[in-house]
Amino acid sequence: MGQQRRYKQLESTAQLKKLITRYYALSRYHRLWGRPLKRPLAWVTSGAPVELLRAFKIHSVYPEQYGALCSTSKATLGLCQEAEAAGYSPDLCSYATSNIGSVLKADIAPMKGLPKPDLVVACNNICGTVLKWYEALARHFQVPLIVIDTPFLTGDMTDHAKEYVLEQFKDLISQMEKLTGRNFNPGELGKISDLSNEAVGLWKEIRGLCRAKPSPLNGPDLFIHMAPIVVLRGTREAADYYRLLKDEVKKRVEREESALEEEKIRLVWDNIAIWSNMFKFFKMFSERGACFVTDTYTGGWSMEIAPGDPLESLAATYTEVFLNRSPEFRAKQIIDLIKEFKADGFVMHSNRSCKPYSLVQEVIRKRVMQETGVPGLVVEADMADPRAFAEEPIRNRVQAFLETLSD
Amino acid sequence: MAKFYLGVDIGSLTTKIVLINDAAEIVGRATGRSGYSGKEIAMRLAAGLLENNGLKTSEVVATVATGYGRVTFPADREISEITCQARGIAHLFNRARTVIDIGGQDSKVIKLLPGGKVADFAMNDKCAAGTGRFLEVMAGALEVKVEELGDLAARAGESCPISSICTVFAESEIISHISAGKSKPDIVAGVCDSVAARVTSMTARTGLEQEVVFTGGVARNNGVVNALARHLGCTLSVPPEPEITAALGAALSALGFSKN
Repeated sequence: MGQQRRYKQLESTAQLKKLITRYYALSRYHRLWGRPLKRPLAWVTSGAPVELLRAFKIHSVYPEQYGALCSTSKATLGLCQEAEAAGYSPDLCSYATSNIGSVLKADIAPMKGLPKPDLVVACNNICGTVLKWYEALARHFQVPLIVIDTPFLTGDMTDHAKEYVLEQFKDLISQMEKLTGRNFNPGELGKISDLSNEAVGLWKEIRGLCRAKPSPLNGPDLFIHMAPIVVLRGTREAADYYRLLKDEVKKRVEREESALEEEKIRLVWDNIAIWSNMFKFFKMFSERGACFVTDTYTGGWSMEIAPGDPLESLAATYTEVFLNRSPEFRAKQIIDLIKEFKADGFVMHSNRSCKPYSLVQEVIRKRVMQETGVPGLVVEADMADPRAFAEEPIRNRVQAFLETLSD
Repeated sequence: MAKFYLGVDIGSLTTKIVLINDAAEIVGRATGRSGYSGKEIAMRLAAGLLENNGLKTSEVVATVATGYGRVTFPADREISEITCQARGIAHLFNRARTVIDIGGQDSKVIKLLPGGKVADFAMNDKCAAGTGRFLEVMAGALEVKVEELGDLAARAGESCPISSICTVFAESEIISHISAGKSKPDIVAGVCDSVAARVTSMTARTGLEQEVVFTGGVARNNGVVNALARHLGCTLSVPPEPEITAALGAALSALGFSKN
């Protein structure tokens, strides 16, 4: 993180590192404590209803989050090549191929790969790739595969869709009762959902603080500090961490302290970060005073679970994930962010890996530009695979875009 | 002492320089192959240009560099070629609203606001299809000079479809057409159509508004000009020296900021 001299690291980062290191250490040594405590280990997709798994004391690890970690540690290329040599197409999602690579050749993977799962859980609210990816994992490890199918929402949530997901949750519950030997305790699920909401609420507040001019946080801050909301959602540690972070961000706002040395341009970011070159890429903006004050991606984890029956609310929350919504919904989301955060422009990362996120961007870009009158730039790269990052063409587009904003 | 302003455009294939005076009139221009060091070529071209015009280095009061090699050149400012291209074209064609620029390894579409400010732009992906380099490779496969492509296309009966968007695969498609006995003009027309189709779909991203100006080295190729006009369904204006317009924009920027 010292790659960028101008990057103002938050003090909370020390606590974040501690938290994530502890989480990965617990995961890595799961074999020592998991079996005696009857706590199986699951590999889950980022949009899986982890609260339900936690209610059965299942320890969840996130191949997607690990994929980002492999990319920032420059391990993705070797891992993808390993998977490609085994026959997986280089056109597949780089989180999937690098994860499969880490399974096939653990010795070149950070932390020697993720610990072996007892089950894998895929929810297709984020994409369809996870189905085949997790099928491959289940086959490799010879463990049960749980699939939760959330119908794509072309408009608002429907009763039918909610019912359909709810039925699958009930199925999941009986499967987990068998697998763990524990009975489902709705009270426990309620408590976990409350903890999720606590962290989500704080994360939402933190993001909201960036409406301030100058913004206390920039894109990389959001991307770095999102880790606990993904992997530790529904735990006390996550909620505590975000309280600490909120206090620090709030202080920055009170002192009118900017994330950059000088904020001249305010931008909205769309899509996953370019983990392989995150600091180098965002520096192209920060060195010209352009700050990413908010984004659509880390906002994906600011959806609260509604009060009422926790199971029904979970079914709604996990089906209404923005990647499972229409282009109209997503355009409106960016339009609202631009207005709320008083942004001067927006940048869309056309992410080769992430098709559901990226394929509709041109439609969305036009609509947002029409509605708000602010310009939008598309940058082609990949969230994890460094081969898709062409520095000069990207720098060229970024510079031209910022020149149009600084005239 | 008279004052002059230099615009340097170090592109992937060629380096272009333009010298203007206080009245924004072109005093001289020069072009050369960028080769290994675009910067050195640019320095040599600039020195030659000054000598030919009997000018001293001190008379050049500001320099702006653009193009891929822009950061290597010791200029007062470096500005992206999108901004420079827009400025150069708006100076030459004050009613221009869409600029299509096909250079060595980039093709781009720029949408202009009245006054020449950039409203939006689109560029080719990380791929040489639809660029000058693409045409060079295809000319090589056909054993003709790039300059001959326009005349050849004009003689075509029926254009041979080139379906691949990949330069390498398109080259092998051409080789198949050759072995199937297709005529050179028909194949060249197919190559021009393929470039035009690629750029046309890019134009859809920014929207097409007239007047449309076609610039960059490839605009010298009549085969592509005609194919593009057909695909877009409108007439295209081509500057007399289409490869130097970004360098001209750079020189105009140098003049602009020196005055302010």
